[in-house]
Amino acid sequence: MADARSFGLSELARLGFVELEATIKKLDQLVAVVGDSGRSALDPLSRSASPDQALNALLDLAEIDKTAIKKLLKSADSAERLILCLGASSALVDFLRRHPEALNVLDKSEAKLPGVVDLKKTFIETAIDAAKPDFQSDRVWSSIRYRYRKELLRLAAFDLTQGNPESGMHVVAAHLADLASAALEAGLQAARVELTTTSDHGVYNATEVADTRLAVIAMGKCGARELNYISDVDVIFVAESANDRTESSRALEIATRLATRMMRAMDGNASEPALWQVDPNLRPEGKSGALVRTLDSHLAYYDRWAQNWEFQALLKARVIAGDEQLGEEYCAKTQALVWSSAGRDGFVESAQKMRERVMEFIPNEEVDRQIKLGPGGLRDIEFTVQLLQLVHGRTDSSVQVRDTLSAIAALRDAGYIGREDAATFDRDYRFLRLLEHRIQLSAMRRTHLMPTSESALRAIARQVGLKNADELTSRWEAVKAEVRSLHQQVFYRPLLSAVARLDNSDLSLSSEQAEDRLRAIGFLDAKSAMTHIQALTSGLSRRAAIQRSLLPVLIQWFGEGSEPDVALLAFRRLSEDLGESPWFLRMLRDSSGAANRLTTVLSLSRLATSLLEKIPEAAAWLEHSGDVQPRSSNEISSEMASILERHEDLDKTASALKHIRRRETLRLAMGAVLGDLSLQQIEIGLTAITECYLAAFIELVSSSKESGVSSRPVSELLEFAAIAMGRFGGEELGFGSDADLMFVYRANAASNDEAQKVAEKIISELKRLSADPVLEFEIDIDLRPEGKNGAVARSLDSYRQYYERWANTWESQALLRARPVAGAKALCTDFEELIDKYRYPQLLDASAIIQIRRIKARVETERLPQGADARRHLKLGRGSLSDVEWLVQLMQLQHGHEHPPIRTPKTLEALSACVAEGLIAEHDARVLKEAWLLASRVRSASVLWANKRTDVLPNDRRQLDGIARILEYPAGSASALEQDYLAFTRRSRGVFERLFYGQTESE
Amino acid sequence: MDKQRDFVLRTIEERSVKFVRLWFTDVAGTLKSVAIAPAEIEGAFAEGIGFDGSAIEGLARTYEADMLACPDPSTFQILPWRGEIDPTARMFCDIQTPDGQPAAADPRNVLRRALAKASDMGFSFYIHPEIEFYLLKSSSIGPEGPIPVDKAGYFDNVPGGTAHDFRRRAVSMLEQLGISVEFSHHEGGPGQNEIDLRYADALTMADNIMTFRTVIKEVAIEQGVYATFMPKPFTEHPGSGMHTHMSLFQGDTNAFFEPGGEYHLSKTAKHFIAGLLHHAPEITAVTNQYVNSYKRLWGGGEAPSFVCWGHNNRSALIRVPLYKPNKGQSSRIEYRAIDSAANPYLAYALILSAGLKGIENEYELPAETEDNVWSLTDSERRAMGIQPLPQSLDHAIRKLEESELAAETLGEEVFSYVLANKRREWSEYRSQVTPFELKQNLETL
Repeated sequence: MADARSFGLSELARLGFVELEATIKKLDQLVAVVGDSGRSALDPLSRSASPDQALNALLDLAEIDKTAIKKLLKSADSAERLILCLGASSALVDFLRRHPEALNVLDKSEAKLPGVVDLKKTFIETAIDAAKPDFQSDRVWSSIRYRYRKELLRLAAFDLTQGNPESGMHVVAAHLADLASAALEAGLQAARVELTTTSDHGVYNATEVADTRLAVIAMGKCGARELNYISDVDVIFVAESANDRTESSRALEIATRLATRMMRAMDGNASEPALWQVDPNLRPEGKSGALVRTLDSHLAYYDRWAQNWEFQALLKARVIAGDEQLGEEYCAKTQALVWSSAGRDGFVESAQKMRERVMEFIPNEEVDRQIKLGPGGLRDIEFTVQLLQLVHGRTDSSVQVRDTLSAIAALRDAGYIGREDAATFDRDYRFLRLLEHRIQLSAMRRTHLMPTSESALRAIARQVGLKNADELTSRWEAVKAEVRSLHQQVFYRPLLSAVARLDNSDLSLSSEQAEDRLRAIGFLDAKSAMTHIQALTSGLSRRAAIQRSLLPVLIQWFGEGSEPDVALLAFRRLSEDLGESPWFLRMLRDSSGAANRLTTVLSLSRLATSLLEKIPEAAAWLEHSGDVQPRSSNEISSEMASILERHEDLDKTASALKHIRRRETLRLAMGAVLGDLSLQQIEIGLTAITECYLAAFIELVSSSKESGVSSRPVSELLEFAAIAMGRFGGEELGFGSDADLMFVYRANAASNDEAQKVAEKIISELKRLSADPVLEFEIDIDLRPEGKNGAVARSLDSYRQYYERWANTWESQALLRARPVAGAKALCTDFEELIDKYRYPQLLDASAIIQIRRIKARVETERLPQGADARRHLKLGRGSLSDVEWLVQLMQLQHGHEHPPIRTPKTLEALSACVAEGLIAEHDARVLKEAWLLASRVRSASVLWANKRTDVLPNDRRQLDGIARILEYPAGSASALEQDYLAFTRRSRGVFERLFYGQTESE
Repeated sequence: MDKQRDFVLRTIEERSVKFVRLWFTDVAGTLKSVAIAPAEIEGAFAEGIGFDGSAIEGLARTYEADMLACPDPSTFQILPWRGEIDPTARMFCDIQTPDGQPAAADPRNVLRRALAKASDMGFSFYIHPEIEFYLLKSSSIGPEGPIPVDKAGYFDNVPGGTAHDFRRRAVSMLEQLGISVEFSHHEGGPGQNEIDLRYADALTMADNIMTFRTVIKEVAIEQGVYATFMPKPFTEHPGSGMHTHMSLFQGDTNAFFEPGGEYHLSKTAKHFIAGLLHHAPEITAVTNQYVNSYKRLWGGGEAPSFVCWGHNNRSALIRVPLYKPNKGQSSRIEYRAIDSAANPYLAYALILSAGLKGIENEYELPAETEDNVWSLTDSERRAMGIQPLPQSLDHAIRKLEESELAAETLGEEVFSYVLANKRREWSEYRSQVTPFELKQNLETL
């Protein structure tokens, strides 16, 4: 090899050095110390993770032990081992500085790493030797730790000189677990010596200690023989007395001491630093449970009280030290429990929650650097693999294996993961683990974070066959993205294989296996679900092909919704209607939000689902949230007008108008479920639809000859108008609300009798034609004068006479919300003028006020359905809609004349006006408003949910949960919604009673 | 958990327990009991024991009648009065709905929720009550009213008296049930006794109080007398209160203690007192839940009728006991309104929440009252800003109705049940013609 000087600086840079000037000097120095063999160091230096670090270390060590370094550098093999270790790990450099005598580990090449039996033997010998002539914990523990680190150095040399470190990753991981067991075994032996020869931790005689059987069970990565370079070692202890000579309780006491001292041997204070934490907290009852238990006590615990995650942990249990027979018994007996645990209710759900919780605990700035816990990290792979093992391992023992890589292979061989997916999984897992190994090896710190500095990234890149930090980052990002999609691919996609042939797939689940998975994610009727999936995916059509790629993700979302079975069925129906329209599947496939929004609609709203089945093309709105915004009254009415202009026959026109109403209602329903619309937008939107619909039908009935209303044009005979009342008048319609109406006419060229007949005919035709069996439309005219006994329509004069002579207070009150919505303009104006006198009287006398209060009091008891709970009635209940509305109306009757701003049919508007006019205190108004809003929203949401009108807050938990989800509470908020509703309405009732009935001394 | 369950199962076997009574408390504060055979215990631990909740006052709405009683193994005790023949044990239960949620109307759950809130703020709540009760010759009422077992007074030692034996027997039984007694003595009224329980966390103490009442009743039966926790059985003698000493702990330190402060009270303690004073009137319908409770509150003597606090002031609603040097851990305050007939779960939940509210909102502590408030005139009290507690159940109900604190603490269900229940009691009481009226009016009118 040429003299170092013959290298140019650029050459050194190419070899990986950073401190170029200094390097030349150092290389000279090395040759000066160790002679010619120093020259051959350049080649391995150029292949090491950090040539600068390696060279510095080499110089240091050469100064400490020239002979040893010289010897190692002589042979190319040992030089490589030495230099790669020094370049990769500053922790190993420190160790060698402390213990240069350990350098001899690197002398020989290790074709094969020592097995666990040999390791244990040497470790125990080391410990026993160190315990002579007397037991000094510092000396014994340090000797074990030194032995461990020496073996670790041997392993690192093996690892770093492997041709392909990814393919050898599992060998290294397994050996790390073996080293840990050997160290623990030695620690346990040392503890036995300690307890029998010293009395620092209690006085125990040798017989007792010998009689104590203690097995150390490893959980987690150590249990699965897939340990990291540095990691907590999770353990559980099982102990028994070997015979009757020593009582079981005494044995447990001794075992507890042994276990504690063994753990301290690993992590307690001694001159050689601690190895790693031994973590016994996965034991029954965690931190508060007994450290050591008998086998029976363990089993009793798992049998009765263990949580799901504890079974997941047992998946990896393995005896690693102490009494092997006892440990094996423990493992054999607990394994049976693991595999039945997946049959427990909500198993997958709780596993998923755990996963989400883990994500939440990662600090934000670390999410993108997390190799283990971040999205697309190791935990994602492990989670998917374990989930599949638990779902299928119940009936198939071939997948009951401990470590992740073997599990992937077993799942592949048994046909639960496709070959290609398995290969990807395996490759990605190895890559991520290798990154983790290299990062940890560097400083021997327990970290799963990608470093940030350029030089650290470069050092890692060099060890995984990449050139620089950029290459490393882009490769890692690609792997993360792949891992993220793999869960979908591996868990959900194969569901389809049970019923359909998948392209590029060698995998086929049986239908029982697929049903197991469906049940695990929340489908109650997995059999029917399979039928739907089959219908959706079988065949050669383009539709089937696209659905095959879409369904896995849809099924996952349905599973997270509140009614997976119903939603899947609805999707099938929709797809059967729309599957031939090219845009539908394209939209679901290409627009990321659309498919998700569709599952939300199908999962949460039977109303929207049933309308969607009638108007499947509305699915197109899912793509843009602008499409579920309410359309203005102008837009709707001009669309309806153009239908009327076409002069088609009566029924055709009527059904075209109905279609528009259904379509616009669906738009609002979807907007409401998707959370894009406020309550007010929904109410105004529904009111606009109803107004346009009515106006169009009145126009249709009056102008069409077919309707047979009159032989002469109606407009010549009379003016006609519809007056909205109640919530319709207040522009507060909800889904499923009736349209409260009154009708008024004024005769032109017709006698009064004739005009009355025509008006009545208009109304009956209007009712007949506008009725819609698909989306119920009901005109309610009970608020008219004389109620059910009164004429369905009256002339303006007749109204005048009636109100002059008969009108009582409740009718004036009803008029507060009267609002002309369709028909002749002039007539509308005159009608409003007429009623203003009655609804905003100059003076409301005391007897009228009393009358209103009495009616209200009576209504409260009489109108409430038999047996209904007043606190849960959304309309007539305690503090709910009618309480707020009656109070506002009383204010309007009393003060409307003097305070024109409060004259409005809209409840909330009137309420704020009352505050502005100083009639109601702001705080009181807020309480009333909150209750009114919540009651209105619950009412609306319950129709959306059930497609049935209900006036009662449901008791059924599932129904409450669905309604709460529509109201944007988090999942599982049934009780929270109930508490909120009861509290809001209770407060509002308090305000109502005070303001409406007045302060009274007794009830 | 399982250690306790194992212990229960083992003890049942070792002591050949024949029956296990599952205890829980209804909203009114009455102890309910279901007896099950030992063979059913494992099942009860795993799944609870189903029962018809709608049959229990206030526990369930009719449409969700199915409830589960889930025994709390840490409360397992053998009942001493059952003797060695057919040994019987008991456990307190938490009530759950069939889907495994805590029942909203379970008083134990109400207290658990309040304690959880305290724990979120970093506090645990410890209390010790002084429970007063009367021993009567029997439950039948003589011409002059109930007949007490003796005519002794405060701290009197009655030689050979029933009360003495009674207390000795009761204390020993309580100790057998794992309830430590601090103190016991004869109280002011004839036949009136007081037993003070050693402090414990509030949930344990509420369970203990329920057990205490049963023990006292059982011992009375055993000794041929009758015990009553009625708040005021005699017009002319003092009523039976349940003065309760309380303190908050933060970890191992008493959060009420601050060396050098006035009476060595910390800021936390002062805010707690202020909160409790502020909310006292609105929780009185629960701490003093019967018509009769108000006869005690307004019966004069040392009854705490007015909302004020003081140091060693025997008429104050809240008393700050004498500080004993170097006993920082025992810093506490004493709430004197609550009576022996209260539902301890609900009462302590409300008291705790009122105090916490004071801490949360940093209520200011009003000035201490040093006078005997009974001796002040109405105008003087008014001038000093001292409010009365509610004067009748009716009055208390009205205060409760408006209480957000109570609604939030009890939960909407329990809150409306308590109100309905108390309104019913009041209206039944009001509709009566009493001996007082007959005596006063019959002959003169």
